[in-house]
Amino acid sequence: MLEPYKKKYHTNNFQYILVDDLGCVLETDNTLFTVQKDSLLQTIHPFFEILNSLLQIDNDCFEFSCINLNLEKKVVIVDTIIYSQNKNENLIIIENLTKHYNNYQLAAQTRNESIINSQILELKNEYLLEKETFKNNFIANFSHQLRNPITASIIFSDLLINSDLNTEQKNYLDIIQSANKDLKNRIEDILDISKIESGKLILTEKVFDLKKLLNDIVNGYKFLASKKGLDFNFVIDENIPEFIKGDQYRLKQIIGNLLNNAISFTTQGSVNFKIALNYIRAKKANLRIEVLDTGCGIASENLDYIFKRFSKIESENQNIKGSGLGLAIVKYLISEMQGNIKVESEINKGSKFICNLSFKLSDYNQILKEELLSKQLLGLEKKYHILLVEDSELIQLTILKILAATGNFFINIISKGEDLVPNIINQDVDLILLTNTIQNFSAMDLTASVRNLSKDYKKTPIIVLSTLAFKDDVKRFKQAGVNDIITKPFDEKKLLEKIYKYIK
Amino acid sequence: MTASKKIVLLGHFGVGKTSLIRRFVENTFSEDYQVTIGVHISKKTIEIPEQESISLIIWDLEGQDDLKKTRSSYLLGTNGFIYVFDSSRPLTFENLNSELKFLKENYPNVPVKVVGNKMDLVNKTYLAQYSSVFKPLVDFFVSAKTGSRIETLFSKLAKELI
Ligand SMILES: Nc1nc2c(ncn2[C@@H]2O[C@H](COP(=O)(O)OP(=O)(O)OP(=O)(O)O)[C@@H](O)[C@H]2O)c(=O)[nH]1
Ligand SMILES: [Mg+2]
Repeated sequence: MLEPYKKKYHTNNFQYILVDDLGCVLETDNTLFTVQKDSLLQTIHPFFEILNSLLQIDNDCFEFSCINLNLEKKVVIVDTIIYSQNKNENLIIIENLTKHYNNYQLAAQTRNESIINSQILELKNEYLLEKETFKNNFIANFSHQLRNPITASIIFSDLLINSDLNTEQKNYLDIIQSANKDLKNRIEDILDISKIESGKLILTEKVFDLKKLLNDIVNGYKFLASKKGLDFNFVIDENIPEFIKGDQYRLKQIIGNLLNNAISFTTQGSVNFKIALNYIRAKKANLRIEVLDTGCGIASENLDYIFKRFSKIESENQNIKGSGLGLAIVKYLISEMQGNIKVESEINKGSKFICNLSFKLSDYNQILKEELLSKQLLGLEKKYHILLVEDSELIQLTILKILAATGNFFINIISKGEDLVPNIINQDVDLILLTNTIQNFSAMDLTASVRNLSKDYKKTPIIVLSTLAFKDDVKRFKQAGVNDIITKPFDEKKLLEKIYKYIK
Repeated sequence: MTASKKIVLLGHFGVGKTSLIRRFVENTFSEDYQVTIGVHISKKTIEIPEQESISLIIWDLEGQDDLKKTRSSYLLGTNGFIYVFDSSRPLTFENLNSELKFLKENYPNVPVKVVGNKMDLVNKTYLAQYSSVFKPLVDFFVSAKTGSRIETLFSKLAKELI
């Protein structure tokens, strides 16, 4: 009974061949393929060329698995055993395992493809990352280098405005100031983007007066809108909380960006700014911020692009150029604050940006504490000695002018790092302003050399004027004993605020 | 009589062993990757100027990321090895040194040619980046896709086998 099955499943899959020591066929059953008696097996398939060397050896057995044989126009995958014997009669047994190996082939195919693809992806990723890092560092460094000249330009044009100018000159100065402001904003944007992309943009959390912030923002933009002849409507939901906790600078940046765009892209009609309370839950207020304009609108096919980075916006879409990096930053900030933003727009009718953001609720006591500090700025009773360590003449002059104008300070300027220590030993210094770009010295080393002098110098406030504005840099400065940092470009107000804060 | 010599191609999977052979034997190329399992054996006879011709019996092995995993019966009676890696995928040449050491120890008298394939995918800066690996070890940079340097590779090896 078993015989037919054995024939079907066993015998039919095996071919037995007897060959002499040269590979000449003596006998075969031709189950898998046909070979003529007396022909050389080597001529059937190059695999059998192996016999030339194997048959020289007597009484041995060689096993070969998974050999692909292309015979009679079809592929069979076989295992082969070669018994070399000493009586000029060698046995070759060939087993057809095509089906078995084909299944294995499928598995190997999937495995290899996925391994190779993941390797290639990884490489691409590495390459892209390298490029990104390079680009971000480049952008960050380059923007830092722009800070000194812009700081000078801002401060000197601020100074000029108070001098005797005729109307025409005042007009020119207006243009310069607005260009300065624009330039400064753009540099801040570029820096923000490079911070975002290198994961260095970190939000702060501080209590602030929301209504006051909104009013400040609105006043600025109302003015801008009226200059363009646009109506500006501000609707505030009286239920919104007064004090919330979050990053007020970034919230201002988000709203400012939206309003700025609305005004820039609207030539007639109005800009409406609404803020409402969605709900309060778990001690958090969820706010809805809406900016609506009657401007040129955005084509629906471009709606996806507007939150992308500048490459896309500038090259592919002329009519929304100038929004620059702003919306990309806005989108990022909002998502970092766990909020969302969406836009509805119709060409030539206008656009509506809606964003929802949550903030922790806070109270008045918190803000009082913080305000107290800033009130101490005013009312100094004596003149203070400021030592400025800076080698850029431009910045020296800038600071000299600002400080001299207050009448509150004696200023001593040195431009070499090595003069710092002798200087503070020989005279009273109430505060040191130290640039981080002085030749041959790092601000951190200079700070250390002051702090190491004696106990008296442990507390002398040191403020670094820095072109490095990343959180990491700030941390490093503070660890080195620096009290505070003023980032370039700075304006008069920022400089004085910081100085007053540290002078007692 | 034409001598026949057994040449075995080794290397990680997907580096282009099969493609190299197809370019050499049939002068064709395909972008599609069909994984080799076990071994495919093909034959090509080449003329060597001022010498007899030589038949190359070329064994195209299933790719392995480690030579020790190769079935040793496949390597029996080999006259020349071609170790292939994919120039564009560093993982396929990161253990080149130990792979070559394995061959030197187990097949001390068999010549080995080390070949970086897929030259069409990489540029000079990339190659320079890995020059410390490539310079001392690699004999040929080739491309099965363009056919570049493949004839040279096989005829150079064949000459050494006579
Ligand atoms: N661009 C390019 N692709 C190549 C080249 N050589 C091979 N390839 C591609 O690389 C893939 C793998 O080639 P194969 O020749 O099958 O690789 P293999 O080494 O035989 O792979 P295994 O049989 O799995 O060991 C295929 O998609 C080929 O088209 C080359 O020189 N240039
Ligand atoms: Mg292959």
